Amino acid sequence: MKMLLRFLQAFGLLLLASMATAEHTSNWAVLVSTSRFWFNYRHLANVLSLYRTVKRLGIPDSQIILMLPDDMACNPRNAFPGTVYSNADRAVDLYGDNIEVDYRGYEVTVENFIRLLTDRLDEDVPRSKRLGSDAGSNVLVYMTGHGGDQFLKFQDAEEIGAWDLADAFGQMWEKKRYHELLFMIDTCQANTMYTHFYSPNIIATGSSELDQSSYSHHADNDVGVAVIDRWTYYVLEFLETQVTSATSKLNLGDLFDSYDESKIHSQPGVRWDLFPGGEQEGRLRTVVDFFGNVQNVEVEDANATDPGSLKEDLAEIARLVEKWQKRDAEYSAILNSSQINKDQHSVHLAARKTVGPTRMVDGGSWSKRLVGVSVIGLCSAVWVAGLYLGRSVKA
Amino acid sequence: MSATQGDVKSLQAQDAPDAPKSVKRAPPPETSQAIYTRFKVIAAFWAVIIFLGFPIWWKTTSIYRAHLPIQDMLEWANGKTCRPVFPLEIHLMTPTMQLPESQHLLRTTQHALDDLNEFAAHHLRLKLVNDSSALNVEQREKASGTDAEEADIALTVRVLSQDDLPAPRSYLHAETTQLDIFYPPNQAPIPSSSNPPLSVFIAQELQQLYWEEKATIAHVLSGETGNLDSISPQLAESISRRFRRSMKYADTYHLSFSLFTPGSAPSSWDIEAAVQEYLAPLLNEFASISNFTIDTQVQLYASFSPMAPSPVFEETEAAWTLQKEDLSAFINAAEWPLNPSIGSGPTLNFILYVPSPSQSPLVVKENHASSWIVPQWGGVFLLNPPLSSDSTNPSHLSKDSLRPAFMTFSHQLLTLLGTPTTPSSLPLRLQALVRVRAASLLLSASSTMGSLARLTESLPSIPIPATVASSVSDTLSHLSAACTHMKHGRFSAALANARIAEIEAERSFFEKSMVGQVYFPDEHKIAVYLPLLGPIGVPLIVGLMKELKRIVATLKARRANAA
Repeated sequence: MKMLLRFLQAFGLLLLASMATAEHTSNWAVLVSTSRFWFNYRHLANVLSLYRTVKRLGIPDSQIILMLPDDMACNPRNAFPGTVYSNADRAVDLYGDNIEVDYRGYEVTVENFIRLLTDRLDEDVPRSKRLGSDAGSNVLVYMTGHGGDQFLKFQDAEEIGAWDLADAFGQMWEKKRYHELLFMIDTCQANTMYTHFYSPNIIATGSSELDQSSYSHHADNDVGVAVIDRWTYYVLEFLETQVTSATSKLNLGDLFDSYDESKIHSQPGVRWDLFPGGEQEGRLRTVVDFFGNVQNVEVEDANATDPGSLKEDLAEIARLVEKWQKRDAEYSAILNSSQINKDQHSVHLAARKTVGPTRMVDGGSWSKRLVGVSVIGLCSAVWVAGLYLGRSVKA
Repeated sequence: MSATQGDVKSLQAQDAPDAPKSVKRAPPPETSQAIYTRFKVIAAFWAVIIFLGFPIWWKTTSIYRAHLPIQDMLEWANGKTCRPVFPLEIHLMTPTMQLPESQHLLRTTQHALDDLNEFAAHHLRLKLVNDSSALNVEQREKASGTDAEEADIALTVRVLSQDDLPAPRSYLHAETTQLDIFYPPNQAPIPSSSNPPLSVFIAQELQQLYWEEKATIAHVLSGETGNLDSISPQLAESISRRFRRSMKYADTYHLSFSLFTPGSAPSSWDIEAAVQEYLAPLLNEFASISNFTIDTQVQLYASFSPMAPSPVFEETEAAWTLQKEDLSAFINAAEWPLNPSIGSGPTLNFILYVPSPSQSPLVVKENHASSWIVPQWGGVFLLNPPLSSDSTNPSHLSKDSLRPAFMTFSHQLLTLLGTPTTPSSLPLRLQALVRVRAASLLLSASSTMGSLARLTESLPSIPIPATVASSVSDTLSHLSAACTHMKHGRFSAALANARIAEIEAERSFFEKSMVGQVYFPDEHKIAVYLPLLGPIGVPLIVGLMKELKRIVATLKARRANAA
C-alpha cells in the first residue's frame, strides 16, 4: 500500500518535473579582442567593458577567459597611463586595480583560441588559461575586432573562418562542454560569422549584416581615438542601466528588442534556429543566465538530523577517525613489541616532496658534437675529392 | 593555358626560320649531341619533380589519420556493447537456525526481494554463509578482496533470534558493512509457509537500505531526463541537487586548506596534525575512488571585498551575523589568493575564516550555522576561537581547536564528492559511491568514444596521430574489462578499470595535435601555390611539351622513312 502511494506521488511529480527546464550549474565567459595597435583602442575597451559587466554580475575571474592582444593602458601614446576608458566622460577606469588577463599580446592567436574552446592544451597549461566548462555550464563568447565576409582577423596576421568557429563549437558540443552558449560578435559583417554554426543550444547575435560595416560610437578627444563601438555601446547601455543586479529577471528578448538600428547604424542579427524551441524559448532565457553566475550557497544547518546532514556525517566521520586511531594504536602496540619502527604501518599521507632546483645536464652533448664533426668532415672530404677528380679530368 | 601555347608557337617560329622572307643563312642544325643533352636536362628536371618533389609534397601535406575502430566506438557510446548491471552479493548468516530452515529463509527472502525490485539493472543476490569461523566481517572482507575471482561482498546480514521481541527489528552497524536482524523465536520461518513474515521483513529492510543507491544509479544511467518510476519526489530532488553541487569526477583532486583572518592573529595552526588526524582516515577510505593532493596556506590581513555587505551586530543573539543571500559574496575572489592552479586536477577550496575580535562571534543569521558549501567549489567554516583577556585572537590554533572545522570540512568533502546520504553507515555509502562512480565513468568514457568517432567522421581533415589510436584501444579494452567485472559483482575492480578507461578516453579526445585550422577556402590554396608554382611551372611545362613534340616528330619521320 505504501509503495502504491509512493508510485502515484512520484508519477505526479515527474510529470511536473519534466515540464520544468533543466538548469545550468556554472557560468563561463570567453571575451576576445582580436586586434592590436593603438588605433584599435576601442576593441580592447569593448572587451574590458564587457569584462567589467560580467564580473559585476557575479562571474568570478577564474571563470572568465580574457584575451587582450595589446596593452592599451601602457601604450606610450596613452595620455592617461594605466587606464582604459570606454566613454569620453572617463567616469569608469576599466583597467582598475583588479583585472586578470589570461591571454595577452601574441598569445592571442587563432590556434590558441581554438585550443581554448576545445581544451586541446598542453598538460602544463595552468587552469586559469583553460575553459573548464562542462555539460552544465552556460558559456558567453564575445568577440570583437576587424572582420569580413565569414572571417575575423586576428592580430593583422591571421584570421579565423566561420567554418573553424563552427567546428570548434561543434567539438565543444560533442564533448559536452556547454549547456547553452550565447555568441556575440561586434565586427564588420559580423552576422556572417555565425552562419555556419551547426551545434544545438547556441544563440548567436552580431552587430551587422553582410556588406555592412560596424561603426565606432564616439571618440575621446584627449585619448585621441574612438573608445567604443556602437553595437557594444548600446548592449552595454542596456546591461548597465537595466540589468542592475544578479537577480534581474530581464530576458534575452528584452536585450535584443533594445537594438535600435537608427542608433547602431547597422542591422544587428540574431540567430535562434539552433536553440531548442527556437526564438520563443530562447527569448525567455534571462540575461543573467549568461552574464551572471549561479551561486546557490548551501548553508549547513547544524541542528538538522536528516540523512546526509552535517550532524549525521560528523558522527560517522568521528567513528571513522576513532577506528583508524584504534587501528593505529593496535599496530603500534604490535610493532613496539616486536621492536620495529612503528611509523611504518600507521596511516600516513605521503608528504609531498619539495622539488628543488636542479642543474640542467646536457646529456648528449659529446655525441652531438661528434655527429657535427663527422658531417663537416664528410662534406670537406667530398669537396677535396671533387677538386682532385676535376683536376685529373682536366689533365 | 592559352598563353603557354602562344609561347610555344613563338618559340617554334624562331626555331624554324621563314625561308622566303629571310635571305640569311639558317643557323646550323642542332647536333644530335645537343639535342640529346637537352633531352637529358629536361628529363633530369622532371625526374626530380616526379620522384622527389611530388612525394615530398604529398608526404608533407597529407594528413595522418590513424585507423580507429569507429564501429566499436559508436556501439559503446550507444550502449549496445555493455549494459551496466549491478548484482550485489549479500551474505546471509543464520547462526541460530538449522540448515534447511536457513535455506528456506534464503529462498523466500530472495523471492520477496525480486518481487520488490523494479529496477532490473540493480539487484541483490543473497548467499548463505554459515561459516562460524569467519564471523569477523572485516577479516573476511580482506580475504575476499585479495581473491580476484569472487564478487565483492556488499553486505553481511546476520539473522539472530532474540527473546521477548514483539516483532523483528534490524540494527545496522555504522562502522562495518553488517546488518543484524533480530526476530522473536516464534517467528522463525517454517519450511511450509511460502511467504514468512521474517523474509518479507528482511527483504524490505534491504530494499530500503539500497533505495537511494538504486535511484542514483537509475539517474546516472538514464541521464537527466528519465528516472525510475517509484522514486519519491524528495529523493529525486535530493539526488539531482547532489549532482548539481558535487564535483565532476576527476582522478586527482587538489584540496586547498586556507586560513584567512582580517588581523594578524592567529598566524599559525596545527594543520599537519589536524589533516593527519581528522582527514587522513577519510581520504584513505576514498583511495580507491580518487587521489588527493593537499596544500595549505595562512593569509593574514584578508579583508572582505568592498562590494560585500559587512556583518551586522544582532543584539538579541550577541553575535555578528551574515545574511544568507550575502554569503556568495563572502569570498573575496579578487584578492584572496585562492585557486592556485597547480597540477591537473580540479581544486576544492576549504576556507577557515577567523573573524577579527571586534566582529566575533560571527555566524549566519538564519540558522546560526557557521559553515556553508559553495557548490562545485568548496566550503567555508567560520571559526570563533575564545578571545584572550585583552580581547585578541589566539596566535596559534591547536589541533583540538581545529577539530570542529576539520570534521565539517570532511563532511563537506563527502558532499562535494557526491557521496550518497543513506544508509547511515559510511562504509556502505562509500561502497555505493564506488558503484555510482564506476557506472558514471563507464558511461562517460563510452560517450567520449562516441564523440571521438563522430568527430573523426565529420571532420575528414583533422589529423589523428597513432597515440590516439592506441589510447582508444586501451580505453575499449579497459571498458570491456570494467563491464565484465561489473557483471560479476566486482565493483572495485570495475572502478579501477573504468578510471583507466576514462583517463585514456580523455587523453585521446583532447590529444594536443588534433587541432589546427581545419578549413581552408580554395582561394587560400591558390594564393599559396600560385606564386610558387607559376614561375617554376611555366618553363618546365613548356620544355616538356617541346620535347614531346620533337619526339613525336622524329617518330613520325622514322615511320615515314620506313614506309
